[in-house]
Order: sequence, then C-alpha cells, then structure tokens
Amino acid sequence: MIAKKFRYALLLGVLAVVVTSCEKEPSLSSLDDDYLVYTASDPAADFSLYETFYLPDSILLIGAGDRTTYWSDRDAQSLVSAVAENMERRNFVRVDDRAEADLGLQLSYVEQVTYFVGYDRPYWWWYYPYYWSPGYWGDWLGWHYPFPVYYGYTAGSLLTELLDLGSETGFTSKLPVLWDSFIAGVVSPNKRLDLQRALRAVDQSFEQSPELAR
Amino acid sequence: MKTFRILAAVLTVAALSVIRPAEAQIFRKMYLNVDWQYNMPVGMDFADRSSGWGMHFEGGYYLLPEVSVGAFLSYHTNLSTLDRQTLQLAPGESLTTAQKHSVFQLPFGVTGRYTFCRDRRIEPYVGLELGSSYARLSSYYHVVKHYTDTWGFYLQPELGMNLFPEPTRRFGLHFALYYGYGTNDGTLLVYRLDGLSSFGFRAGVSF
Repeated sequence: MIAKKFRYALLLGVLAVVVTSCEKEPSLSSLDDDYLVYTASDPAADFSLYETFYLPDSILLIGAGDRTTYWSDRDAQSLVSAVAENMERRNFVRVDDRAEADLGLQLSYVEQVTYFVGYDRPYWWWYYPYYWSPGYWGDWLGWHYPFPVYYGYTAGSLLTELLDLGSETGFTSKLPVLWDSFIAGVVSPNKRLDLQRALRAVDQSFEQSPELAR
Repeated sequence: MKTFRILAAVLTVAALSVIRPAEAQIFRKMYLNVDWQYNMPVGMDFADRSSGWGMHFEGGYYLLPEVSVGAFLSYHTNLSTLDRQTLQLAPGESLTTAQKHSVFQLPFGVTGRYTFCRDRRIEPYVGLELGSSYARLSSYYHVVKHYTDTWGFYLQPELGMNLFPEPTRRFGLHFALYYGYGTNDGTLLVYRLDGLSSFGFRAGVSF
C-alpha cells in the first residue's frame, strides 16, 4: 500500500516538474548583433523655445570604482562630435560658454557595471548611479526626469541626456531632463567599443526623435 | 532534450503505476493520455511560427460505456523572430531593436469524450475541452525580457483515437487533432493580442 502511494506521489512529482519547467526560452545569441536605441522626451517640452546648447568634450565613464573618470580620446571625440552635429542639424547652436547655453548635454559610457533604472508615476527610483553632478551645470539640488523612463545599464551602454539649463535654480529645485537616449550593444565580441556601430546608433537616436528640433 | 528526458521519466513512472495486470480492472473505467503536441497558430502575428514545444496531459473516467469526463492540462510555446525596427512606444518615446517573441500558453480545465468502439484495438473518439487559458506574451531584446500575463476562457474540440495492441492491458498509443481557442487579450510594447487561436496534433501514449 505504501509502495503504491509512493508511486503515485512520484508520478505527481514528476508531472509537477514537467509543468513548471515547460516554457521554451528562445535563443538570444543573434540579438546581440547590432545596437539598441531607446529614446524618450518630455511630452510637455517645446524644443523650439531653445536655441543654444553646451556639450562637454569628454564622456563620463561609469565603472566599478567610485572615482570620477572622463573619457576624452579620439573615439570619445568622434562620439561627442556626432552628437553635436546632430544637434546642429536640428538648428541648435553649440556654444563654448556653459553659462550662455539654454540646453546642456551630458554623455556617459557604462564601462563595467550593470544597473537597472526605473522611474514611473508615482515617482520611484532605485539603483541610480551617481555620475554627472547637478552642480556641474549650476545651482540645482539634483535632477529628474519629468516623464517615465525604463532602461537597464549594461557594459557598453552610451547614455545621453539633454538638460533644461533655463529651469528654475535654487536649493530645492531640480534640473529637468528633457530628452534621453540610451544606446546599448555597441561593444564588439572582444569587449571593445565598436565605434562605427556607436556612431550609427547616435544618428539613429536623433532620427527616431523628430520632436527634438527647432 | 530536457523535455524528452522528463517525458521518459513520466512514462516510466506511469507505466509502473498503472499497467500491472492485477490492477487493470481498477483502472478499466479510467484513462490517461500523455502527449507531445505540435501547435500551429492561426491569425496571430505576435508569435506566428508553429512549433513542437508543448505537451498535453489528460485523464478521465467513463461515466457511461462511451461517455467520459475528466481533466486536462497542456502547455505550449510558439516563437517568432523580428528584424530590427523602430517602435513608437508612446508620443516622444521610441525603441529601435531586434526582438524575439514568445507566446507561452497553459490551458487547463475539464474535458468530455464520446468514444466509439470501446475496448477495441482502435478507439476513435470526439472530445471537447473547456477551461481557463493562461498565456504569457514575451518580447526578448538586448538583455531584457519584457512580458505580460493574460487569462481567458478556453475551448478546444478534438478528434482522436487510442490504439491498444492488447486492449485488455490498456496500454497503447494516442493520436489527436485539435483546434484551440482562448479569449486571452493583452498588449505588450506596441503589439496587441486579441484571442489565441491554433490548430495542432498530438501523439503520445494512452493508459
């Protein structure tokens, strides 16, 4: 009797294993062949009201360490130039003086670490890394997205944020991000940056954001 | 391969449990089917490739010589590959990526059958399954799996037959053709699902 019950228990157990392990996951190897571009902008923003922008000549590196590191070699300059040229094609004017700019652009490249970022209504943050300080741009407490965004940082991701430098300053004010571009999949199999792929991805981020123009 | 190993284990345990001659009479009014199935989606763009990634389990009891009622559970995954494209997720929000789509269905519920030629070597039957349909829609891109879970009502007419080389031992093969429809609806990214419809066939063992 005990043996019979054991057989039925075993049968049920095996069936349970079958059912719970039954979803077939697709092979994802071919998905890493090219870039991913995610862009989001503040629906309330009227970009025709802005004229000038300031773009630092370095890209901030987000790595495993706490020390702030900037990337400014020839590859970095190519990426910075690509962003600037796309902005100028949209009739924005690049200026050399940060204080004169209506908009600020900050570029970050994720070198090693992985974060997941989520921001939704009601406002909720988690695992957000410290990188471009709001103090770099002026007298702001912090900065924020006035629209929902979701993305995951992984090694080889390029993040571009467009900031409204004309917004209200002060100890309690936050610097709003008007447009955001997240680019992933720009590293080659040997873990080095694929510059040509990254440049195409930068162009794509502007191409899929027609609202970003004046 | 993992699924086939598990299936082999299920069949072995089921055979040890059910087919001993001394106990055959106890199970004479019962049946159990364990099947592999091939599923072909109809009118569904989200994941439209037919596949054999599924199984079906069904057991029943003969209330009348030809009429049985029972329960069923099956699961299936259909996939598709999408080339890179730009998706307009919302005003001012876009995503350019290649994707793999997956629809994983898991319907379960009650079943009824009318069997012709009972206790013969070949037992054809018609059946109807009714129940709930769980389905997960997934989009895989980059390192992300984006998914939503849906529920609906499930209906599935079926034509099939059991083949028993030795009818007294109640251990044979099972084949069936089916059409399944679930009322599941849901949205994922820019895609909308309005009902799950598919044809398929099953092959397995019958006790």
